[in-house]
Amino acid sequence: MDEDILYIEQFLGGDEKGFEMLVRKYQDRVLNIVHSLIGKDGESEDIAQEVFLKVYNNLRTFKGHSQFSTWLYRIVVNAVYGFTRGRGKMVNDEDAINNSATTYKGPRDNLIVKEREALLHKALENVPINFKTALIFKDIEGLSYIEISKILCCSIGTVESRIYRARQFLKGELLKAGGEAV
Amino acid sequence: MIECTKVKRMLSRYLDKEIGGEDSVMIEAHLANCTQCSKELSELTRLKGIVSGVTRITLPQDYLVSRIRDSIMRTRCEERVFSLSDIGNFARKLIPLPIGILVASIVFLVFISVQPASKNSLEDHIFSGSNATTEMALELILGSQN
Repeated sequence: MDEDILYIEQFLGGDEKGFEMLVRKYQDRVLNIVHSLIGKDGESEDIAQEVFLKVYNNLRTFKGHSQFSTWLYRIVVNAVYGFTRGRGKMVNDEDAINNSATTYKGPRDNLIVKEREALLHKALENVPINFKTALIFKDIEGLSYIEISKILCCSIGTVESRIYRARQFLKGELLKAGGEAV
Repeated sequence: MIECTKVKRMLSRYLDKEIGGEDSVMIEAHLANCTQCSKELSELTRLKGIVSGVTRITLPQDYLVSRIRDSIMRTRCEERVFSLSDIGNFARKLIPLPIGILVASIVFLVFISVQPASKNSLEDHIFSGSNATTEMALELILGSQN
């Protein structure tokens, strides 16, 4: 049986450890998606926390018709869209460079990498959110078009179009920013 | 040969390996002879590399679990305090009632006690020849108690 289903059943049976296992398993994935979409470390953590609180409060309504990750990513998308509706501007260079409890893997933990990534986040900021969301699920999470279409509740053709347009936008923004152009 | 516009539109999907075998062969044949579309593909490949190569953020293992646990406990605690404060609010609403009754009673008693007892009023009335009222009789009785 799917590991996630076991954790869910454990939680629904009254053992909160099941929920904690789900959080441990998905926390970095959720955080990276949120961070790529809004570009703020501190607020990304808050949104990730909000996402898991929604999972905690609504796990009983999960029917298992889709994979747990699909259901979870839908909550992530809704939380991010809610956040962006509430905020006009999403990211600036300083926020993108600063971090809170987050740590960065590997030997690339240096200022140049952070600055380059700040530039990428700055460029991503100007990509419309629905295009960017499809792109992030593809390029950061490595999901297939069909999986993305289930998360975003749209057709595969729409996913393809959004990713294509996101790349066109992003290419233009990076060239405009004069940074590491493609 | 397939048009460049059509190929460029399909390159993103081709890059993501989300294209059927037949279309894939057709695009590859076009790319072999078109420098412009090949350049477009290499740009898209580089762009994909930049996005997918972004440094992954990792949280300490129990960082979020701990934050969520705290938040859930705080919510539960607030719900308990809220329900207790509801009882408190109801009790507070009832407080003015006994106080009001007590104050009214004191005022009444003070008023009665400071009223000059006109012991003679009934007598005066009787002497005046008119009928005595209940109030006059009561006044006489209360006055006589003081």
